Amino acid sequence: MFSKILIANRGEIALRIVRACRRLGIAAVVAYSEADRESRAVQLADEAVCIGPAESRRSYLSAPAVLSAALVSGCDAIHPGYGFLSEDDTFAEMTRAHGLVFVGPPPEVLERFASKAGTRTLLARHGLPTIPGSGMLRDDAHALAEADRIGYPVLIKPSAGGGGKGMRMVRSPRELQQAMTICRSEALSAFGDDSLYLEKWLDENRHVEVQVVVDRYGNGVHVGERDCSVQRRHQKIVEEAPSPALDDGRREALTESAITAVVAAGYENVGTLEFLLDRDGNFFFIEINNRIQVEHPVTEMLSGLDLVAEQIRIAAGEPLGYSQPDVVLRGHAIEFRINAEDTEHDFRPQAGTIEAYLPPGGPGVRMDSHLYTGYEVPPYYDSLLGKLIVWGPDRAAAIARSRQALDELIVEGVATNIALHRALLGHSTFLDGEFTTNLLDRVGSGAFLAAARAA
Amino acid sequence: MADAADGRDRRTIARLTEELLPTLIERLASSDLGELEVRENGWRIRLRRPDATSGNGETRLVPGTRAAPDGRRPETAERPKPAERHARLEPPRGIVTSVAIGYFAPRDGVAAGASLHKGDVVGFVDVLGVRQEIVSPLDGILGELDVEPGQAVEYGQPIGRVEPHA
Repeated sequence: MFSKILIANRGEIALRIVRACRRLGIAAVVAYSEADRESRAVQLADEAVCIGPAESRRSYLSAPAVLSAALVSGCDAIHPGYGFLSEDDTFAEMTRAHGLVFVGPPPEVLERFASKAGTRTLLARHGLPTIPGSGMLRDDAHALAEADRIGYPVLIKPSAGGGGKGMRMVRSPRELQQAMTICRSEALSAFGDDSLYLEKWLDENRHVEVQVVVDRYGNGVHVGERDCSVQRRHQKIVEEAPSPALDDGRREALTESAITAVVAAGYENVGTLEFLLDRDGNFFFIEINNRIQVEHPVTEMLSGLDLVAEQIRIAAGEPLGYSQPDVVLRGHAIEFRINAEDTEHDFRPQAGTIEAYLPPGGPGVRMDSHLYTGYEVPPYYDSLLGKLIVWGPDRAAAIARSRQALDELIVEGVATNIALHRALLGHSTFLDGEFTTNLLDRVGSGAFLAAARAA
Repeated sequence: MADAADGRDRRTIARLTEELLPTLIERLASSDLGELEVRENGWRIRLRRPDATSGNGETRLVPGTRAAPDGRRPETAERPKPAERHARLEPPRGIVTSVAIGYFAPRDGVAAGASLHKGDVVGFVDVLGVRQEIVSPLDGILGELDVEPGQAVEYGQPIGRVEPHA
């Protein structure tokens, strides 16, 4: 096992990794940018080192800065968290070349799953139904030809990264041509890579993903699915498990085929397979996330597993030590992403000082957040302030507890999306488990807020 | 060449002023931040809210590559209390700070008492075998270095101090 891990991330996930290290008896070194000097992770870490200025490219995205930090602080592994360098196979390779371990899939596994089109082909060979899509787009003419072949509507997606940046759904060749330029520039500024590909767009789809944990020796389990259909502009805002859209038969078909395919394809470590689910319950594999995800606590609430600790154990070469029958999923959990954004003004991200922060409590309530009263939310990074995760023995109980928890939660000083979450919990579409990924954008978040105010 | 560079600079300034500044001003106004700084391609925009500690509100636009590392707060043993944060914005003049995380190496022949010009190389940070220059922030006399050769330094860590000529 490792003795010291460098955490190359910030915000709530840096704090989450510090906690996992603590539990495993590993010293945690937090690498931070100048803008995060006062962060909770820095305060709680065993050691903290400043790796660069606020600008991510020169701090959290700088492979030399992160590696140098790990070496000067005497770490033997690097945990990249999510985003930033977490799925960068070159960085994983550099980490190994410097005698350190990348906490995640080993470089050759990352490389195998790096291309989204390549991964679709690979997993289709191992029995997963996949969404029709293109390879990397060479130019606009290539994009038009591929869209024609796949059939409109199509979704333009960046090859690197996620989180909805650089993504646009288009219904015609004209829209495609217009959107390509925007997507390229968004992808370039977000991920430093402007390569794009196309995916068939299913109207009225749901986003369901399967959590897998696979060790180096080919032992793997799935830890059930999560439903992430509540999205705004392709960004997840509420996630829950189990999916209200699956019956037991379809759930088993989905999770079993997912774990069988990734184990056969040689995946290693914790990962997530994302699927689209159509109205008839058919599922199509879209992509794999080779890292811990924002919404991982939903699965932890159901399974009792510590997925971050599992990442670390597997990266250290430990065998899984349990098998599928040992994974028991209990009850229902919902996660609410608490973002610093102004719902009244097009969800503009907010920065500022947290004047008051009081997390909710009680049975089944977990708050993963780096906030404290007096903390300054810097304007340079994403707007995630924390995640409220609520568990109940069934969905109705989880929803009832969620209402109470959201009412208790106090975040003052910056505008947040808490009101939107309350509004969602009062809306029949969510209560009936009928959400689809484009609903918020089609109806407009404002409509949900207005309906909640009127009620 | 110089004309082309100036033209490029002017275009960059125009673009930053037209596109970025209004957004930044809005963000600063809607927040309680005392200061907001954005760096892009070697340029740095810093907005500062007028308050008791910094006098007039100001907007500075300086090419970061040529600017001294003056915006950085020196490492202190104590963590500032929230109320003090807005007061930390101006570090003491003349502090030489590390430009990266790595191992420090002084420049040969540069020691305490050396007379330096602004931009003169004081030493280096070795980052994975690549040396990055640490330069003097102003004209003056170098004092004792705070860091031993081979010692690990982090980004922004004070290396020493240059006393300005009287």
